Amino acid sequence: MMDQHEDPKFEQWLKDAAKSYHSPVPTPSEEMWKRIETARRSKRVIELRPWMRWVVAAAAVLILGIGIGRWSANQASAPAATSTAPAGTQVANEIDSLANVAYQVAATQYLSRTEAFLTSFRADANRSANTARLARQARELLATTQLMLDSPAADNPRLRSLLEDLELVLMQISLLNPVQDGHDRDLITQGMNQTNVLPKLRSAIPAGPVPVRRTEGAL
Amino acid sequence: MDESQLIARVRAGDSAAERALYDAHVDRVYRLAFRLAGDDALAQDFTQETFIRAFDRLGSFRGDAAFSTWLHTITTTVVLNGLRKVKRFRQREADIDDAHEIGVVQRHAEPDLKARLKQAIDDLPEGYRTVFLMHDVEGYTHEEIGVALGVETGTSKAQLSRARAKLRVALSDFAGEWVK
Repeated sequence: MMDQHEDPKFEQWLKDAAKSYHSPVPTPSEEMWKRIETARRSKRVIELRPWMRWVVAAAAVLILGIGIGRWSANQASAPAATSTAPAGTQVANEIDSLANVAYQVAATQYLSRTEAFLTSFRADANRSANTARLARQARELLATTQLMLDSPAADNPRLRSLLEDLELVLMQISLLNPVQDGHDRDLITQGMNQTNVLPKLRSAIPAGPVPVRRTEGAL
Repeated sequence: MDESQLIARVRAGDSAAERALYDAHVDRVYRLAFRLAGDDALAQDFTQETFIRAFDRLGSFRGDAAFSTWLHTITTTVVLNGLRKVKRFRQREADIDDAHEIGVVQRHAEPDLKARLKQAIDDLPEGYRTVFLMHDVEGYTHEEIGVALGVETGTSKAQLSRARAKLRVALSDFAGEWVK
């Protein structure tokens, strides 16, 4: 039995009319494939085979066990007055560890914000968005980028290369002229495509909810 | 060579097989991404992200469903999450703009059918819009949509029915077009 809301004439008309909605352009498969290859090469993820996963899991359990054992031994045997040096070292290590986690959270949040900003910039590249506002946001992100370039994070060659690419793009956006920016925007977008900055940026951001994933079990 | 053999070769690290698998599916993934995003740059980003994730996670594909169904599950996840992110970002920008543009009166011309249809589809709730575009525009079955979106087939059918009902109301000025 036909539902009272069904109307085959309307449905057919709607299907035909909706073909014009976001009608796709020809698939740029070559361009996309090149970027996929580049992004995957830059990831250099070590694939763990099933047996390797068991080895890694066993090693993790072993390390955890040793850690718990040492910690409980320290708690039970170290007299407070005579153990200032080891306790101090332990506190320093814990502070280092917390600082490292805090740094990772900040870095991940920065990368996520930059990704959202650049994705939106590229999508809006041909529209009349507010150039002054974009430039202001780019300047804020640029300041963070430059701080990161001066931090220990930049010791990692891959991250350093990504930060340098981001610094260049953000600097260009921060200098956009509100009066005549169409051509400049095109050039920036072309540059972003050529350097594959967005795929590289995405591959540097860990999957999952950002702050939670990085701080699980640590804070 | 059938698809399961192709997938086995990709798992073994054969880059030519990766390319063949990509070629076999890229059109449909890109089309869906474009329909949902309405923007070439975003659709390209989402398509790339889909294939990067698919190749990275191919080890977890067990072959219970067709590869295309598994791939479209990744596509819809990537696209819908990506669009939410862009929407949140644009909303923040719009809020800032609104604060500067209070008192500016905007006048709109009477839109034609195409513009009204676009607006009506854009205004659909995300779930309705996704099901409508996948089923009525891109030709996915309710079974495929159910798997891709992680919902029951019945839910997909119900959402499509509600989407059509909402569009019918939104486009009632054009009723003469379909009762001819």
